[in-house]
Parts: sequence; structure tokens; C-alpha cells
Amino acid sequence: MLEIKHTLCPSCSVGCGINVILENNAVVGTFPYKRHPVNAGKNCANGRNSIGNFVNKINEASISQANVDLDKAFAEVSKEINANDKVTVFLSGNNSLADAEAIKSFSEEKNLDLVFYADDLRNFEDVASYDDVEDASCVLVIGDVLYENPLIGRRIVHAKQNGAKIFSNIKAEKSVTANISDETTSGSVQEFLDTYKDNLDDSSVVVFNTVDCEDDLDKIEELGFKILPVYSKTNTKGILSIADSNSKEEIIEALNDTKVLLIFNDDVVDDFDFDFKSISKVISFSAFKNNTTEISDIVIPIKSWLEYEGSVVNAMGETQTFVPVMESDVLSVEEVIEKIKG
Amino acid sequence: MSYVLAKSKDEEIHKAGECGGAVTSIFKYLLDEGLVDGVLALRPCDDVYDGVPTLITNSEDLIGTAGSYHCAPTMVGDLIQKYLIDKKIAVSVKPCDIRSIDELIKRHKINPDNLYTIGLNCGGTVSPVSGRKMIDLFYEANPDDVISEEIDKGQFIIELADGSEEAVKIHDLEEKGYGRRNNCQRCDVKIPRKANLACGNWGAEDGWTFIEINDEKGQELIDGAKKAGILETKSPSDAAVEGRSKVENIMIKMAKKNQDATYPSVNGIDDWSRCISCYACRDICPICWCYENCELNKSYFDEKDIPPSPIAFQGVRLSHMSFSCCDCGQCDDVCPMDIPVSLIFDKLQKKYCNRTGYVAGVSTDSKPPLYSPDKVEL
Repeated sequence: MLEIKHTLCPSCSVGCGINVILENNAVVGTFPYKRHPVNAGKNCANGRNSIGNFVNKINEASISQANVDLDKAFAEVSKEINANDKVTVFLSGNNSLADAEAIKSFSEEKNLDLVFYADDLRNFEDVASYDDVEDASCVLVIGDVLYENPLIGRRIVHAKQNGAKIFSNIKAEKSVTANISDETTSGSVQEFLDTYKDNLDDSSVVVFNTVDCEDDLDKIEELGFKILPVYSKTNTKGILSIADSNSKEEIIEALNDTKVLLIFNDDVVDDFDFDFKSISKVISFSAFKNNTTEISDIVIPIKSWLEYEGSVVNAMGETQTFVPVMESDVLSVEEVIEKIKG
Repeated sequence: MSYVLAKSKDEEIHKAGECGGAVTSIFKYLLDEGLVDGVLALRPCDDVYDGVPTLITNSEDLIGTAGSYHCAPTMVGDLIQKYLIDKKIAVSVKPCDIRSIDELIKRHKINPDNLYTIGLNCGGTVSPVSGRKMIDLFYEANPDDVISEEIDKGQFIIELADGSEEAVKIHDLEEKGYGRRNNCQRCDVKIPRKANLACGNWGAEDGWTFIEINDEKGQELIDGAKKAGILETKSPSDAAVEGRSKVENIMIKMAKKNQDATYPSVNGIDDWSRCISCYACRDICPICWCYENCELNKSYFDEKDIPPSPIAFQGVRLSHMSFSCCDCGQCDDVCPMDIPVSLIFDKLQKKYCNRTGYVAGVSTDSKPPLYSPDKVEL
């Protein structure tokens, strides 16, 4: 039976809607969700390809890459946590608000170290809406937002078409963001802000998905204009209200001391310059096979983004909810945590 | 080809239908008689702006698909080709839907024997997000309070929950950048004559659907639904036929005027500079069917630059399918960078048409002239 159902795109923090095409409870394609206010049916390649993961769906637990009974895997995870005093929990921007709360309280209850990476950005209470971007008289763009977050990039294009000045700071030699910008620099963010801050007025917006260093965030905030940080993961903004974020250096330092690492719903091994195999036990809770599950000692399946109900906060601070569109017997993160607590 | 006025004999369907419920009744007949495995039609999901193609297998569920949804610019050819190829189905089709289906039939990607196509005359569709904004700006109404909408006599009409109606001239809306989608404004195929039936309210009396019966299969549908006791018909008057033709001709004239105004602007398009090579335009195109075998996926297509060279990226697609472009506008709809892709493809199709006489999805040729599905490795 062919069905088309609404859901949210899991590929970044913009919060686009996407329709998935299901055939007998299997996801077989995507379809434009034109009614969705964020993206009006437009999705980037990452969004449309997000269903490609389903060929790598994990349905069974494994220890040392061999399938095992789920209860045995839970027992093993509990044993590892209880037997070691250097246990680190990796919280991800892919987790829903409820999952993040559960992971955090589990970490506190068991006295485990919690780390959370937020792209070296941080939480800003007041952020610009996407409509603010299109209505801006001037937009400062840091990073190739058009290419990396096209559905916010589209709002910058609209701003340009509405007569706004666009100034960008992009390290790459060529970029689509530069192509629509009035001027582009490739120097430091600090220099960029100093150069163009006098062009800003009350309707201007600074949009960024990267910075050179933490001081840049202070400088952007001190400008006193509207800002829109764009994160690489769906719910990074939401989780920033739940847990403190760590820099890459802080996380690597924590990993150096870690004996047991629990990774919830993320593929992190390629994001950090660190040998994850040096950790005694890497335990991955994941819906899909990925590079992290490949090197994990224990893998526990969890529900995918199409199989559970939850809510996330998008880049402009709007809470968005999603519902399951597929039936599944796999446990959610919250259920998995209850089992581990056991 | 012949004409008939029809309405449902089922009271609930008659009430729910846009103009007498004939389309829904024909679908019901097909499902109840077991002539199809399912009916593919639009069903409003979250609200009237959110029409979603839905496969109905139980005729009791058809009532949810009754009515018109101008704010749901969807396409079904792709869905049929990819997911329903082996099913016997009935489907409601706009002119661009049946044009794309016709092109896919010509390429042996859809089996016409498995299809019943109920065409819907179309004056154009409105994008749901801009449609809501349009109602907010130009009507004394909250978009959330709209329970139905229609395009009639050059106006976009909304009906509110309290039973009141508001109308604004489409021309006025479009002058301000709202109204119908750009491709719909220049579309000159308003009646889907390649469908078995073409249905609509042009020339119809209140509570009746004006149906053009386009082929033998269409006649069988009308006869069968009547025999099953669900459809009532009568002959339209000469004035009704003339009235319908007049509406069609006015709309075609408006479309041609729009074409004359917009085609020259193609030459000055510099929007390609923001193309991010996401392939959304190719992937949504109801004519593109090569998938993994697409030239753009070939190793010799060494186009890694972002943005890609338009002549290399779009040039490949233009040379492969622009002669079959049915100007459905899906490529515009899904482009994250709002590049007016369909304008270029449609303009080229018209040039091809001027040379060969071939109108994509309308002409009766077995294939577009000079078309070859063969691919030669370079």
C-alpha cells in the first residue's frame, strides 16, 4: 500500500518539512512537502538522501560485531557502566528534546561525564527568524550558507532580490554564497565584522554556520543586531537549552580519559581527530550502521527518526514536533535508557 | 469526442464534490466494480492547502478526496511510474499530469492498459505557502479559516467556515507577484484531452460537471457508472458547449500573452550562478526516467564545480528531455535556490514545437520527432 506522510528533515537545524513515500511500511522515496512553512516543498540533496540510511538499518544488537540477544547486550552495557569510573556519554544534536533530557538525567544519576558538541557555536536566546532574513536590509553571512544550509540560503537570496546588501566571509575560493554577495572576504571573521558592521541597521541579520574561534561569537553578539546561528544537526539549538556544549578540544580531552564511551544517535568518529579504538569499550546506540557503529564494541538498535514521536528546536528557535510514520518494534532512546538502568 | 453533463446520484458525494461529484462517483464505480486496485487522488492532509496524493482502495474513503485543491501543485506521473507500475489504477489528472503520463507511456514506462485517467480542467494552481500569504495580504480573512477555494471567472475565490465567500481578481493578485504559479500562468493546455475524460465546471450548470469524453474508454466509464446507478447524465446545450470553449480560449489567449512577455527574459537569466548541484530539478522531473543511468552520473561528466557550468549541467538535461517538457513547474517548485528552471525548458519545448509541430504530451506522435532512448557511451 502506497502512502505519503509528513515528517521533518533530519539533516540539519533548518527544520524543513519532507514527505516520505512508504510502501508496505518500508520507506521508498521522498515527495515535496509544499505546505511546509519553512521550505515550501524544497529540500536539499542531504534532505532528500536522508532516507538512503534505511538500507543500513540496524535491527539487532551486536557485541564485537556479532548479533546477540538484546537483553544480553543491555546486561553487557550495564556491566560496563557499573564496572568503570571513567564513563563518558556523547549527547548529540540528533537527539530529540525528550531523548536529550533522558540522556542527561541518566548521566547525572549514574555520575557519568556528559559531552555535547554544538559545532563550536553556542546558544543565543534571541535569534532572527527566517522571515527576518528575507526582510533584512543587509545580511552578513559567515560560511557558505547557500550551499550548506540551502533553505536558509534561499531566504538570503530573497533578501537580495528585495534589495538587501549581502556581505559574506567564506574561506573557500569559490562558493555560491559569494556569487550572490555584493562583497566577499576570506580573512578572519573579526576583520570581516569590523569591515562591514557600519552597513548594519535594525533590520539587518548576521547569519553564520561557522566561526574562527569563540571570541567571534562574543563579537557577533556585541554588535547588537539580529543573529541567526545555523547548526549542523537537527536539534542542536534545543539541546543547548538542556546541556552545556563543549569545544572539540574539551571533548578530545575527555575522550583521552575515557574507558567506556556511550554514543547516542550519532556518527562521530570522523568528526574528531581522535583514535576512538583507543577507548576500551565504545557503545553505540544507533538506528543505522555507520562508521561509528563499525568501530563500536557494542551496538544497540534504536528507533529511527521515522519511527518515534518527538520534538526539536530549529535554528530560529521554533519548537517542531514530529510523529512516527512507520511501525517499529525497536526501542526508543528513552526505553533503551530504562533498560540499561534496569 | 462527445460532451455530457453529469452529477452524482449519491447525495453525500454530490454535496462534497466541486460540481456535482461526477469524478468521485466514477471513481466509486471503478472501485466497487473491482475494475481497479486503487484510486490515486488528492486528499487534504493538514488543511485545504495541503493536498497529498493518496491511494484509495476502499470506496468509502473516496469522500475525503472530493472537491478541488488548487493549492496542491502535485504530480502523479512519477508516482505511477515508480511505485504503481503493476497496479491497475484510476487517477485524477491535471493537464500537466496527463501530459507527463503520455510522455512516459511513449517511453514504455507506464502501461496505459493499467490506467483510467479522469482529467480535470485546470486554470492553474497556487503554491500553498504563497497562497496562504496571499490570502493574508489581499483578503479580509485568516488563511486558517478557509475551508475551500476555487478559481472561477478570473477570480480566486475562498469560502470561509462561516459560509461567507471572498473573491479577488487573479490578474490583480498576479500583478503583485501572487496568484497562480509562474508556469501555470503561461500554460496553454487547459483541458486534459489525452485523459479518458476531461471534467470541470466550465460551461456546466450549477451542481453538474461538464465532461468531455475523449475516447472509448471514457465512454465506457460514463456508461458503466450510469448503469451502476451512481451517475446521472444529460446532454449539454449548445450554449454550454460554446461557453466552455470560450473560457478555454480566453485562458489560452492569456497564457500566450504571458509567454510573449516572459520568454524573452530567459536570455538575461543569471540565476544559474547560485545552482548548488543538488539535482532536485532532475529528480522531480516527471519526464526524466534514467535514474542511475543519467548522463549526469557518468564518470566522464566531470563537473565538480559548485555552481556547475549551466551549459554542462542543464545543457545535458535540456538536450535529453526539453522537447518533452510539459511545463509542470515541479523543477521550479523544488529548487532550493528558486532558479526558474521550467521557464528555460518550456521555452525550448516551444521552439521545438515551432520546428516540428510536436506538443509534449499532447501530440499523437508515437515519440517526439528525432527522439531516441539509446545512450552512447562517450
